[in-house]
Amino acid sequence: MRTLRQAAIDRLRAWAARRHGRDSLPITISRRRVYILPTRFGIMLALMLTAMLIAGLNYNSNLGLAFAFLMVSVALVTMHHCNRNLLGLQVDVTTEADAFAGREASFEFMLRNEANVDRRDVEIRCMTAAGMRSVLARSNESIRVDVPVPRRGVVRLDQFELRTRYPFGWFHAWTYVQASLTAYVAPSPQGNRTLPAVGGTGSASRSETRGDEDFAGLRAYEPGVPLKHMAWKVLARGGEAAVRSYSSLAAQPEWLEWSSLEGQDTETRLSQLCLWVLESEAAQRVFGLRIPGKEIPPARGPAHRFACLRALATYAIAEPR
Amino acid sequence: MSPKTVTYEQLAGISACLALAMVANLGSLPVWVLATVAVSGGIRLLLARRGRPAPPRSVRLVIGVLAAALLFLQFRTFNGLSAGTALLVLMAGLKLLETDTRRDIYVITLIIYFVSLSALLEGNSFWLLAYLIGVCWLTTATLLRLTSTVPAPDWRRSLRYAGRILTQALPLALVFWLLFPRFAGPLWHIPDAGGTAGSGLSDTMSPGDITELALSDEIAFRVRFATAPPPPQERYWRGPVMHEFNGHTWRRAKSTSLTAPALQPQGPAYRYTLSLEPHQHNWIFALDWPSHWDLPRGALTSDYTLVQPEPVSRPMDVAVTSYTRVQSPEPLRTRLRQLDTKLPADRNPRTAELAQTLRGAHPDDMDYVRAVLNLFTEQEFYYTLTPPRLADDSVDKFLFDTKRGFCEHYASAFAVLMRAAGIPARVVTGYQGGTLNRFADYWIVRQSDAHAWNEVWIEGRGWLRIDPTSAIAPGRVEHGLNDAVSADEPLGSRWHRSTPWLADLRLRLDALGQIWRERILFFDQDSQQKMLEWLNIPEPDGQKLVMVLTAALSLVLAWLTWAVRREIAPTRKEPLIRAYSRLCAKLAALGMPRLAHEGAEDYAARVAQSRPDLGPAVTALCRHYSILRYATAPARITVGQFDAAVRAFRPVRKHVK
Repeated sequence: MRTLRQAAIDRLRAWAARRHGRDSLPITISRRRVYILPTRFGIMLALMLTAMLIAGLNYNSNLGLAFAFLMVSVALVTMHHCNRNLLGLQVDVTTEADAFAGREASFEFMLRNEANVDRRDVEIRCMTAAGMRSVLARSNESIRVDVPVPRRGVVRLDQFELRTRYPFGWFHAWTYVQASLTAYVAPSPQGNRTLPAVGGTGSASRSETRGDEDFAGLRAYEPGVPLKHMAWKVLARGGEAAVRSYSSLAAQPEWLEWSSLEGQDTETRLSQLCLWVLESEAAQRVFGLRIPGKEIPPARGPAHRFACLRALATYAIAEPR
Repeated sequence: MSPKTVTYEQLAGISACLALAMVANLGSLPVWVLATVAVSGGIRLLLARRGRPAPPRSVRLVIGVLAAALLFLQFRTFNGLSAGTALLVLMAGLKLLETDTRRDIYVITLIIYFVSLSALLEGNSFWLLAYLIGVCWLTTATLLRLTSTVPAPDWRRSLRYAGRILTQALPLALVFWLLFPRFAGPLWHIPDAGGTAGSGLSDTMSPGDITELALSDEIAFRVRFATAPPPPQERYWRGPVMHEFNGHTWRRAKSTSLTAPALQPQGPAYRYTLSLEPHQHNWIFALDWPSHWDLPRGALTSDYTLVQPEPVSRPMDVAVTSYTRVQSPEPLRTRLRQLDTKLPADRNPRTAELAQTLRGAHPDDMDYVRAVLNLFTEQEFYYTLTPPRLADDSVDKFLFDTKRGFCEHYASAFAVLMRAAGIPARVVTGYQGGTLNRFADYWIVRQSDAHAWNEVWIEGRGWLRIDPTSAIAPGRVEHGLNDAVSADEPLGSRWHRSTPWLADLRLRLDALGQIWRERILFFDQDSQQKMLEWLNIPEPDGQKLVMVLTAALSLVLAWLTWAVRREIAPTRKEPLIRAYSRLCAKLAALGMPRLAHEGAEDYAARVAQSRPDLGPAVTALCRHYSILRYATAPARITVGQFDAAVRAFRPVRKHVK
């Protein structure tokens, strides 16, 4: 029964994808693409309404019939309202997300409601993950959907679903949006090797004499500098906010090398590299990444970090079309 | 707390709705069921208040089995309305006890809807319907609050939204109700409610019974005459006929056959519709004497009472034709003669003696009847609503000692005097008279119009109606009870008599009730046929009705779709913004759409940069817009002028080389 239902849903998804083609974001939900069916509770209600009608007819009670027909009509009106709850919503989404294997890729959906009515309980589903929000009249709401990604690689979703059971939970209206969402799943950051010393493998002696402690002077504060590098004494004396700069951090690029992890299997190496990338970034170092087939020149900052993580995610995996 | 679990507030809401739905069923639910539901609801609410979950499963199971067993012991069945309703209410109560998730509440709402319906199946008042629609509204609003996860709307909003859905459902419901084909009879037999005692006449009559009824203002039935109504002295509504007398109480014959001796009608026929209120007996108060009726299983008993096999337990309408004057061509059957001349041997000796004396002086039957009636007028008999209580030999006491009585005293005494002289006589109970509702042209017959009179068999003439009350109080028959008793009698309707406007108001309300009854309660196949005729549909039948229903439904559903979607159409913008959007659209067509974050003046600057030829015009327009919109400087043009300027702005597409 379960699988039969699943098979039906899969066929419907495929059919909807063929019918509507690829959608360009942001998309406004039109009425041609909203489907609606009673929920299990809705079916119970239908059975009860049938019983009510039969009772009314059998007792020849016009008042009973009036009440039963009123309830039938309420159900029909509710169907329209449930359908309407999705109609005209504008949906946008961040199409790319970064994640680590074993955690979740978070896609951020933006719902925009220009109408004068509240859209309550709008749910967005990607695969098994879902997020629910109410979008009040003339407002925007963002919904985060965390899709679990167990393995490294590139996860691509071709479709997501908007659904609602509002107002009474008697009906379930939904729509499929065909838009590709890509999650770059970097290897899970782990490993037991320490971060290679600055300057690569040959610079061990230099780091002994100079190391991190090599104070190179003060420079002006800029946002994002680690607090431990703040020159608090200067600030306390009433001077400008300044940071201490160290020659080893600022100047010497560091290479995170695939080749330095000889003797381990691919995924372990990638995990170790991933950990190093995060550590280097946290330490505000300038670093480069060298893996077979790809070399990312030394740099610093979030964009660089993402580039490195994506390189690790897509290593030996075909990029999506 | 997971969103699937229910809060105290949700529980309290649903419990209140269930309680309100139960109130409508108070009459049919056993007290212990009410108590069980109240206690389980209370326990659950208390637990929820302290943030505790529902009681353990085993406790609930035991209570459930016990309650179901008790219910079965009481009703002996789960089939039938009262038992079914009680079972459902009990289920809802126990469900309340175990409610932990939304699913449970959903089940309870379904039960609330059904229990509301079952109250309506038995009831028939407008107020009940209105009340239950209100309950349904509240329940639906509760459901609305249940489904929402994130910032729950306040009660007012929920009620408003549920109310809007109900309002939009009304036209649809009306179409369904008017056009859904009705069946002639029930689909299957409904077990009788039974046991519920009705007010009104019964199949015995003791001194004081009708006097009691005379104090009641309750309506027994209403009559709408299709012909002219008969004169007041012929408005006798025939109920059960009493044959057996034990010296104190009159009873119906134990076995009355359904073969009435033929009657020869004389005088005009009266056609009318009786709207009976339920009275839990199987007789129908037709005008004396009924000849035709549209009651499939109705029949006349051998003493001419119109009866049907099942009791009148719900309001019903019957069309009847009667003749007020008839003759019996057949001789009196021996069995009936025996029945109607029988008197208990050792009771009322003084009356028997009186009868012998009078009979000696008047050997002719009619003479004897007149002599007895004269007796009532010549001696000091009083017609009163407060007669003294009479013990065993009631007729002796009444005739010789108290001399005060109501109609049943006179009818009883008269019949005994007749039988003692060997003339077949019987007591007929029923109603006499009625009040015209001059606002709606129908007659109201109340319990206070209850009456008892006699019929005597005169050889050659047949059964003859004699009303001894009319001899003592002629006004009773001509004008009704109010005029026949003195002003200090404890009459039920006295109050209305002394304040005419109140009486008028009561009549008007009754007329409204009658419209409700005729148009709504008794809406049936005939009414639907008339409606189709009114719509000029030739040869209306069930199939055409369904076609009309389909057409009307399509129309209403189309309206509904429009009405529901209209609410989400983007609100009509004000003219200024419309004009600005038009400007932006014109520029977007040139490949320079306004970016979401761009203000009017930034946008103008960007456009001027890429299309210097448009620069001055766009800059000026955007400047006007921001002045009009944000009033940064005194505006030099009006919105209308701005709109005209935008319309006049016709940028040309430049080919990119």
